[in-house]
Formats: sequence, C-alpha cells, structure tokens
Amino acid sequence: MAWLALLVLVAVAAPALPLPYPPHTLDLAHIAQAPLGPGRHWLGTDGQGRDVLSLLVFGTRTAVLLTLPAALLAAIIGALLGGAAGFWGNRAHVGLAYWALAVGGVWWALRLPAPWLGLAVGAAGLASAVVGGPWRLTWRLPLDALVMGGAAALDTVPRLVLVVALAASVGSISASGLLALLALTSWPTSARLVRAQMQRIRTLPFVEAAQAAGMSTGHIWLKHAIPHAIKPLQTLFPLSLARLLGLESTLSFLGIGLPPEVASWGRLLASYRQEPTAWWLFLFPSIMLTISILSLYQLTKMRK
Amino acid sequence: MALANQPAIDAINLLNCSLLQADFATNRFAPALAEALPTVQLLGDSLMRLQYTLRPEAAWDNGRPVLATDVAFTLKLMFCPGLPNERARSDYSFIREVLIDPKNPRRFSLVCTSQSVEYVQASGDFFVLPEAALDPKSELRAFSLAELQRRPASDKAPPAVLQALARRYAAATPGQTPARLPGCGPYQLVKWEKDRSLRFRRKPGWWADRVRPRPFVLEARPAQLEYAIIPDAATASLALQRGDIDVFPQMPTREFIRLRQAPTARAALNFYTTASHDVVIAGFNTRQPPLSDALTRQALGRCFDAAGILQGSELGEGRRTVGLISPADRRNYNDSLAPVPFDPAGAVALLRRAGWRRGATAEAGWQRNSAHGPQLLRLTMRYRTDEPLFATMALQFQAAAAGIGVPVRLLPTESGNFSEALHNGEFDVYVRALRGNPFMFNFTSFLHSQAVGAGNTTGFGTPESDRLIEAIAAASTVPHRAQLLRRFQTLLQREMPLVPLFFRSNHVAAQKRLTHLYPTSLKPGFAAMAIDEAPPSTSP
Repeated sequence: MAWLALLVLVAVAAPALPLPYPPHTLDLAHIAQAPLGPGRHWLGTDGQGRDVLSLLVFGTRTAVLLTLPAALLAAIIGALLGGAAGFWGNRAHVGLAYWALAVGGVWWALRLPAPWLGLAVGAAGLASAVVGGPWRLTWRLPLDALVMGGAAALDTVPRLVLVVALAASVGSISASGLLALLALTSWPTSARLVRAQMQRIRTLPFVEAAQAAGMSTGHIWLKHAIPHAIKPLQTLFPLSLARLLGLESTLSFLGIGLPPEVASWGRLLASYRQEPTAWWLFLFPSIMLTISILSLYQLTKMRK
Repeated sequence: MALANQPAIDAINLLNCSLLQADFATNRFAPALAEALPTVQLLGDSLMRLQYTLRPEAAWDNGRPVLATDVAFTLKLMFCPGLPNERARSDYSFIREVLIDPKNPRRFSLVCTSQSVEYVQASGDFFVLPEAALDPKSELRAFSLAELQRRPASDKAPPAVLQALARRYAAATPGQTPARLPGCGPYQLVKWEKDRSLRFRRKPGWWADRVRPRPFVLEARPAQLEYAIIPDAATASLALQRGDIDVFPQMPTREFIRLRQAPTARAALNFYTTASHDVVIAGFNTRQPPLSDALTRQALGRCFDAAGILQGSELGEGRRTVGLISPADRRNYNDSLAPVPFDPAGAVALLRRAGWRRGATAEAGWQRNSAHGPQLLRLTMRYRTDEPLFATMALQFQAAAAGIGVPVRLLPTESGNFSEALHNGEFDVYVRALRGNPFMFNFTSFLHSQAVGAGNTTGFGTPESDRLIEAIAAASTVPHRAQLLRRFQTLLQREMPLVPLFFRSNHVAAQKRLTHLYPTSLKPGFAAMAIDEAPPSTSP
C-alpha cells in the first residue's frame, strides 16, 4: 500500500522533482553508461543517452496516469453495461424514438455512407422522444444478449493481440488514444461480475418493495441496485490495474502505442535489447514492475 | 529493375553481370562482361562514343552467348513505359544510341549525349538482361532507343508491343522470383524464405571459369552463399559469436567495438574498419509551405547536434561533412565550407529572419503570415525503427527543436513503409543514410526537379540547382567536375533541402578462418564472392 501511494506521489510530483536530468535530454557524451558513473547519472543512461532515473520517474507517471484512468473507465463501462444487462435482461422494451436516435447516432459516428442521413434519423428520434410524437410503439431490446455477445467477442481474440492489431491499424496513437483503447477492450470482466451480482439483486425484496412503491425502473436501477451490484469491483479493480500495467508495459516493449518520446517502463526494458550488456536497463524497470504488480495483488488480498 | 535497398542489390549482383563492375581489390571499375574498359571517341564538341566488346566466353545459362543485342535490349527496357524504371530512366538517359557492329555481334558502341568523364564508367554499370527470355520475337528491335526515350514515362496508351513486354516483365515478377529471369552471373537462387534467408548456389560451369587469367571481378569462390536476415543487431551479433553466421557486415559501431574488446570474440573473429561512402542526412519536405524557404530550413538544420551524435552513437568513428561528398575525396570535397553547426540560438535568429514570430504563449510556437494564409511551424519527423542511430537523432532533434519552441512529432516507421512514406511525401523531416560510391556524381535521380515524385523525396529543385546537376553529370574533365561539385556543395548548404551530417565507418566482423574478404569502402563493404576458407590448422 505504501509502495502504491509512493508511486502515485511520484507520478503526480514528477515534473517538480529535483532530477539531475529531464527525461528527454540526451546526454550524448554518456550513452549506455552504467549506474554511478561520471555525469551524475545515478542509475545510468540508456542507448540514447537519456537518464534512467528520470525515465523511471516519468515512466511511473505514464504508468499511473494511463492505467489508473483506463482501469477506472473500464470499471465504469463494465458496471453500466453489466448492471443494465443483469437488471433488464432481454426483456426491456425501448421506444422506437430511442431506437431511431441510437441507430442515427451510430450511423453518423461510424461515418457510414451519407452521414447526414444518420444525423437526420437521430434528430427525428430525439424530437420524437422529447415531444412524444407518432412513434409511441416499442421494440424489444435484447440488452443481455448484446452485452454478453460483445464481451464474448472481445474475449475471443487474446487481449494483447487485439490491442496490438487496433493500435497498428491506426499507426501512431496518442496517450489518450491508448487510454481509450485499453478501457474499451478491458470492460468485459467487470461487466460479467456486475451482471451476475445484479441478477441476484434484482430478485431481492428491497427492489421489489421499491417497484411496489411505484418508483421508476431507471431510478431503482441507478439509486438502489447499482450501488450493491458493483461491490465485487472493489476486489477486481487492483487486479485489473495490475493487468493493464502489464499490458501497457508489453505494448511499450513492443514499440506500439505510446509515442517514442513518452517515457515508459516497457520501453526502457525494450532498450535493453539494443544494449544487451546494459543490465541496468533491464534491472530497474523490472523491479518497479514486479513490486507494483505484487503490491496490487496484495491489495486484493487485503480487500478480501 | 527497381531495387529497394542495398541487400537487394547485393543479391542481384550474384545473379547478374554488368559490363563493368567495381573491383574491391583496387577500388576501381573493372571490365566484367566487357573484355576491356570502353574506348572513348569524342564526336564534335558534345557527343561521345564508347566502344565495348563483350567477352567471347560470356553466356546465358542455356548456353546462348551474351550479345550486343542483349545490351541494346536492356537499355531499351529501361525506357519501356509501364515498368518500375524511374531511377534507371534518369540514370541512363545520357545513352542516346546503341550501334551494333554488323561484323561482330559482340561489339557495339554507345553514343552518349555529352563528353562527361563519369559516363565512361556509368555506361557499363547496369545488369544486362537476356533478350530471349523477355522478348523472344525480338519485337523491341523495331524501336530505337531515342524513340523510347522520347516517350513519356506516364504514357497511357503505349504500342501493343510495349504493353505486352511490360506484362511479360510483370509476370516474371523478377523482384519476387529472380530465378525466372535468367542471369549470366555466377550464382543461382536455390531457396528464399521471405524475411529469413536466401541461399545461392554457384553454377557448376559458369562461363567465367574459362576466362584466363581470371580478373578479380569474375571471382566466385564460395560454392554456396547463404544470407540470413536478422533484423535485430544484438541477435545477429550473438549468431556471429555462436558461429551460426560467418560475416556480419555494416555492424553497428557500439556492438562492433564492444565485441572487439571482448577476449573470446577477439580469439574467434577478425575485425575490419574502413571508411564508407554512407552519409547520414536529414531531409526536409520542401513542398510543405512552412519548409519552402531556405532560411527556415537553415534554422532547423542548426538543431542537429551532428558532432554529439557522431561521438555518442558512433563513438567518434566517422567524419563530419559539409555535403554529400566524402571528406576522404580531397579533390571534390569542398573544404572551404564549414559543417552546419549545432546552434539553437542561431536557429532562433534565422527563424525570425524567415518571418516567423513567437506566439504569445510558450505553447503557441512559431507563426507567420504568408500569401496563402497563416502558417504554424509544427513538424512531423520520420525515421526507420531498425537502427538505434536514427532514434537518437530524432530524439536529439526533437529536444533541440522543443528548446526553441518548435514542436516535433516523431513517427518511427518500419523500413518497408519508410521508403513508401518518403515517396508519398508523408513527412516534414526525415533522417536516413544515403549509400554513395566514389565513382558517380550524378545527383539527377534524387535532387533534380525532374525526379520530384520519384527519387527526389525532398521535392527540391531550382533552375540553378538543376543546371548545376546537369553540368556535373556532363563535365568533360575531372578538374572541371571538381569545380562544379564544390559549387554544388555550397549551393546545397545555402538552400539546405537536406543536411548532410556525417559519413559513417564501415564495420565488418568475420570468422577468423575466412580469408580474402577484401574489406572496402565500397558497398557492401566486403567482397562476398571472393571469400575463401583457410585450411584447418594442423598445429596442436
């Protein structure tokens, strides 16, 4: 716990720390230099002459600022999708107005032929939803099947392969792009957990009592059911963080994802391939990764 | 016809022969398919006639002799529309006519458009292809070379004969299956595992075995040559130390020096260092409006710490340069110029002179107004991912540019995509190494405005530079050419479409039992076909 707190602290304070070298300054006079050598590089330099200590510090910043929001986002997406799927199952009926809104929105977002058509359909749906209008009919939405189908589809391809393929297809992606990519591919586990929990909660007396009291389904779901259903995520969250940390490092090791000037533990590990004698390029980031992931697993045990 | 890179050229060299080839023992051009260097006859004051005779022994694999008609066919093929021959078109447009001696089918003359000293060697430096394999009915003979040269490369509706020839060439897919297009070189390709290895076997009765005395360029000693493709230098170095490979050419300097200092490696390996003609450059896309003026390019050129990179990455092994000509070439190198300094403060002053103004905030960067509206100085830089040197250069440039407020986005690119991205102009700045040689000073294919869209990746070309490039190619005496080359280096430094940074050293490490490696400054750095193996030592 103390280690994780320290990591977060380092990540937040990285730009203000009194490091002898900024992370992107190349010391061309000391390339691949061992720790404690000349030039005040306490942990040595990499094959480009960058200070390993400052790369580690800014790598921590990247790791924390990328994996923490990605894990949070994945948990939120998973909780919402899994919660909805577990609560409504395949029984929900949705007004045609909302169908039109959703189809129009997706049409426009995916840039299908004539995107204005999507916009028009979406706008008509929205107007109809707001003012009532002629589309009072409803159509059954197989929410559970959709969410579980999406999760299963994401799980059929190994996560690393999927992320590598997506990242490679768009060429170089930014840090925020990578964050979105990690979050959008990591939600299925939390969605499954929340869905299972929700299916149990749905039949509990307090939900039935709320329904009997005449509260709207949406209100019951958001105010009463979801807070109980997301309990298992407390245990899952550190595990998900550990997995994302590993995934981010693997991606950086493979040279995919983050732009080359963003410091990362994985990239530091990768630079060891170019300088096989520079053991410090392997040792220090490995230590950081190992302790961080072990600490996260330990956190899971404490939660239990 | 279009060869992607140096290893491809090395491989094709084993399969094919040229009239003249570089002799690694003497570092000069020597006759290969030709019996002797061409005899030169000046015609008037602007034409030159080079007479060649092919060796009587020279033959294709099926026993047919290599004849002057094959040479004429190859030259015409270079100008046939619909083929990947842009580079060849610009390099060999100086040959106007092939005159075959009616009495001797092995003798022919090439009529050249000027009396350039360079053309004497350049006229023999192309692989001769068999007419019978690609044009069995000899239909191309109906076209004269000049007629094909006049036809634009982008000819949409060429005669049916030429279309059929282009189709036959494409169907032979010589890039993927060179074995389908027979050569008269000493080796045959027996196995090609894509991205893994290439294996060549020496032809049992190669025609040059009958040539006595056999010149160096026709030596082919190894019975088999296998090229292992190992993209990662550290892995290749391990393979060399394990004895899985015999020669590691163009070894990265740091790895070379590390290995040379290791006692076990020193016991098993020989190490060779020679100067090379490989120059590391940064290029600007002059077609991008912010980079269209020389002052901006000069400013950005001052953000490269060439001396620091040479010292840090190459451990000082190499030489700073002012231009594309090696400082070792004392006659042609312009020693009155100083290399572009690393000078961010000077860069700021130059940017201001170019009309750029710093924005109100640090993030706003540099802006200027032009006739086409406001411009922002933000750059995208491409480099190949497979060499750490380029990553170092890119990071160094990015840091230096950031220091003066110019944001640079780095795009590390896989080497196959890199050439394509450069060709398509998808970059603002790039870094790469150009492989040169001491024989040719023809910059037409990559700096002439005619080559924009083909080999001229920077998009640079002014009437003045075009005239100078043409004059260099056509210079009739060595001193006159040297004078023009010096002027060209001055012009390039002033216009700065590219910044030549330094010449690298060529490092080759090889197993000790190999002899006759002939390390040289010429590409690819050693003579693969001359390698021999020392008999095993009998001493205990």
